[in-house]
Amino acid sequence: MEIDNGALENIGAAQNADGGWPYRKGGSWTEPTVYALLAHQAGRTAAPRSAAALAWLSAVQRPDGGWTPRGSVEQSTWVTALVALLPPDTIGAGKHARAVAWLLRQSGMESSPIFRLSAFLREGKALDGPELSGWPWYPGTAAWVTPTCLGILALKKCYWRRPSTELRERIDQAQTFLLSRRCADGGWNHGSARSLGYNSDSYPETTGQALLALAGTDAGRLEASFRQGQRFLREQRSSGGAAWLRLGLLAHQQLPAAAPLFTMPCRNVPDTALTYLAAAAEQGYNVFLQ
Amino acid sequence: MRRRDFLMGSAAVGLAGCRRTPVPRSRSLVNITRAAAYSQDIYGAMRRVLAEHKLNVRGRRVVLKPNLVEFEPESAINTHPLLVHATLEAFRELGATVAIAEGPGHRRSTLDLADAAGYFRTIPGFEDIFTDLNLDEVSRVRLPRPVSRLSSLYLPHTVLGSDLLVSMPKMKTHHWAGATLSMKNLFGIVPGGVYGWPKNVLHWAGIHQSIADLHSLFPNHFAIVDGIVGMDGNGPIQGRPKPAGVVVSGRDPVAVDATCCRIMQIEPARIEYLTLAGGLEGIADKNIQQIGEKPDSVATRFELIMELRELRREKA
Repeated sequence: MEIDNGALENIGAAQNADGGWPYRKGGSWTEPTVYALLAHQAGRTAAPRSAAALAWLSAVQRPDGGWTPRGSVEQSTWVTALVALLPPDTIGAGKHARAVAWLLRQSGMESSPIFRLSAFLREGKALDGPELSGWPWYPGTAAWVTPTCLGILALKKCYWRRPSTELRERIDQAQTFLLSRRCADGGWNHGSARSLGYNSDSYPETTGQALLALAGTDAGRLEASFRQGQRFLREQRSSGGAAWLRLGLLAHQQLPAAAPLFTMPCRNVPDTALTYLAAAAEQGYNVFLQ
Repeated sequence: MRRRDFLMGSAAVGLAGCRRTPVPRSRSLVNITRAAAYSQDIYGAMRRVLAEHKLNVRGRRVVLKPNLVEFEPESAINTHPLLVHATLEAFRELGATVAIAEGPGHRRSTLDLADAAGYFRTIPGFEDIFTDLNLDEVSRVRLPRPVSRLSSLYLPHTVLGSDLLVSMPKMKTHHWAGATLSMKNLFGIVPGGVYGWPKNVLHWAGIHQSIADLHSLFPNHFAIVDGIVGMDGNGPIQGRPKPAGVVVSGRDPVAVDATCCRIMQIEPARIEYLTLAGGLEGIADKNIQQIGEKPDSVATRFELIMELRELRREKA
């Protein structure tokens, strides 16, 4: 797929006066701001008013080291993993290290010892242990697929820069969590593969995210997931979903040579940036894995 | 509570709640209108429904909040766009400024979802009047008397700034809540951009309790339930289309949802969030003034999964 350099211009045009990016219009949020910066990283070009962008991002880091999704929200959340995807020197090594430390302190409530004990006493069955430890969207809740994928990708980058047993173990636990949440059709949805005895269907975007986060996993374990991802790619229901699928399949060399081009419009900054990131990955530069 | 929270909460209550003054119990008016299909007849029907409820919305900001869940235009998952458009037109004719807003619970690409569900082609200028509540500006609102574990919630300005919130759910069974109607539909105003997809804080705080807490913030939202074709079985996503041929509406969401349960042959007293929000008095037949059709005359059996069979209403 060809890189559409007009995408970076479109992203640049959406930047707010405060340096951050909105999803579509309105105030700045952490998620679109990070994706805008990652797209410019993939394009090997400086983001417009990058100093202002980074200043905005720095300003919404919380005292606990995590990031809030938006300045008016007084809580660190899943977006911390997104910020940790940025190279440490962009936001400062100290800030980056505190973000990673915050991430390492978070896990889904269902794997906490107190919750597991209370669930065992209440229901008489053992729940997932710490060997399946993903990330929640919001502290104090269960782990789900998207924040776990982003957490894995962020920690992998840290591990490649500076390997440690702690990082390796947490990545392994989160990947085990992901595999445990795979739907019967081979893909992933938000993180509920089965409910009240019924199988749930998977979604394109989360299937792409999970495949990307499972890069390096034995391909033999993911055959059904590749087929489901390729099936989704033919359907094309959203540009964001198509971008994640391309990134995920590409990470396993499973993107078909004749994969259809994007047909859905990019309706917001993250989708525009992700589409650009997928194209850059096909040209050899995957910012999530390099 | 910090001053900022208080101010935000007060502002929110002021914005959304000038219509929240508790009133002594009088019979709640609930309208049941027959509608056999999603046809042009719905436009006239919605004009008549709003006229019967005598809503004074001239110059007011009305936000229609449908239930958008999945990319399946042929299924009965989402509120049908024709009903939303007919309601929009009817409110406009009454002099209101009308917006549409929704924050789906599982899928992130809301506009793509709305497109697939037929909203773009059915509602002219849809994108200009639509707000993705998952990504809207937010303020923290303190819950007045929470029954869940929540003490406050971040909520979107589009909803907080409206004069009338109109919940427009699909009439569906729900594998956790029993039935998903106008009150459960308020989960969609909780911003995914803050809490994620799904909005798992609501589950951890107690699903029924969270529904009751959201209701306490918007007790007089207007409800219009799309029961023309609902969903039974393993709802709210994997169930089967269930034609019920009705649109149910009213100013008292508890009474509207209780009426819908009776139509679905579900016992409203066994739906925990209804009793939490309205008590047995709030859902009692004697306290609901039905206009249009009677519930028994349009009642149709919505099949329930095994785990919910104790919700079955024994006699209609």
